[in-house]
Amino acid sequence: MIPGHSILLLCNHFSWWDGFFAGHLTQTYLHRDFHIMMQEDHLQKRMFFNRVGGFSINRKSKEVVTSLQYAAQLLDDPKNLVAVFPQGALESNHTEEINIERGIDYIVKKIKGDCQIIYYSAFIEYFESLKPSVYFHFLNCGTNHNFDYEKVKMLINSHHKKALKEQVNTLH
Amino acid sequence: MIRNQKNFFIRCILHYYTRWIVGRHFHEILFNTIEVDSNRSILLIANHFSFWDSLILYIINLKLLKKKFHVMVREDTTLHLKHLKYGGAFSVNKKSKDMLESLDYAAGLLNDPQNLVLIFPQGKLYSNFVNDINFEKGVMRIMAKAEGKFQLIFAATFIQYFKHKKQSVTVYIKNEDCMGKGFDDLKNAYQKYYDSTKLQQTEIVI
Repeated sequence: MIPGHSILLLCNHFSWWDGFFAGHLTQTYLHRDFHIMMQEDHLQKRMFFNRVGGFSINRKSKEVVTSLQYAAQLLDDPKNLVAVFPQGALESNHTEEINIERGIDYIVKKIKGDCQIIYYSAFIEYFESLKPSVYFHFLNCGTNHNFDYEKVKMLINSHHKKALKEQVNTLH
Repeated sequence: MIRNQKNFFIRCILHYYTRWIVGRHFHEILFNTIEVDSNRSILLIANHFSFWDSLILYIINLKLLKKKFHVMVREDTTLHLKHLKYGGAFSVNKKSKDMLESLDYAAGLLNDPQNLVLIFPQGKLYSNFVNDINFEKGVMRIMAKAEGKFQLIFAATFIQYFKHKKQSVTVYIKNEDCMGKGFDDLKNAYQKYYDSTKLQQTEIVI
């Protein structure tokens, strides 16, 4: 973590719990004000998320640019963190490819302040326990000043594949 | 070796407890149907990544396979959880000579067409994300001893969440012909089945 930088947190999206994972990590580890980009129809059904950092995006509407600009604006302030699911859809936890939507590039280019980009792969495991455990594999993707969309996309995908391999060797 | 034991009262408690706990923790259990031969017992081979595996397959047995459930469990687990033996668990210890006794006992169970024996050939718990399924050789001894008397079934279990708060489980089951299969053939056949089912799970996008 780089002090004095806001954080753009990119997370893999495979479950209902992902937003809560991101919120929990923000509170306990990343120590920023939590904001999260949510699909508009999902947010409308649960408007209370609006009070705890949720803001909407609707990819099919013209307003998509407004949402991306709003995210960038939040990231101008070093106190803030914005969690985004770059895959743009729920995908299997077993997936090996992480799709990074173009919107990420747009957000990062619009940030005027200093922002660090962090990605994590989360994996659910059970082993001996009846309750699942979640394992996070973090990756520092640099700051908005040296951001290159294609390079970060490759970096995230190779990190995700490596994380999957490491996960297999997890001690339990 | 610890053998499974009969106790009507404890078995009933375990039966209802398993149904209750699986029902409570899972959003849904999805499985495909296959033909079950009533004249042969069932040897069920499955992947092993959690404590839930046997409980889920117990439910699949109740709903689809309808045989008497038996499962081969590591000896330290049966010693730790003493009630498992009343639910059809018998022990195996890879490091002891007892192992042959356990394998022969499993083969003996397969002589009765009403029985089902569940085996995790991986031999221990592995990560949910393994690509290569470790296969222990003991299963071949069981198959050789009980040849012709059982129906071989492959099961591959996957747990995922997607849009629900509770996890859902998908079990892919398939009849497999075991006649004349050597260890490598069996291992490759299961690996191929696991790969294809895992790919189906991986490709889901919501």
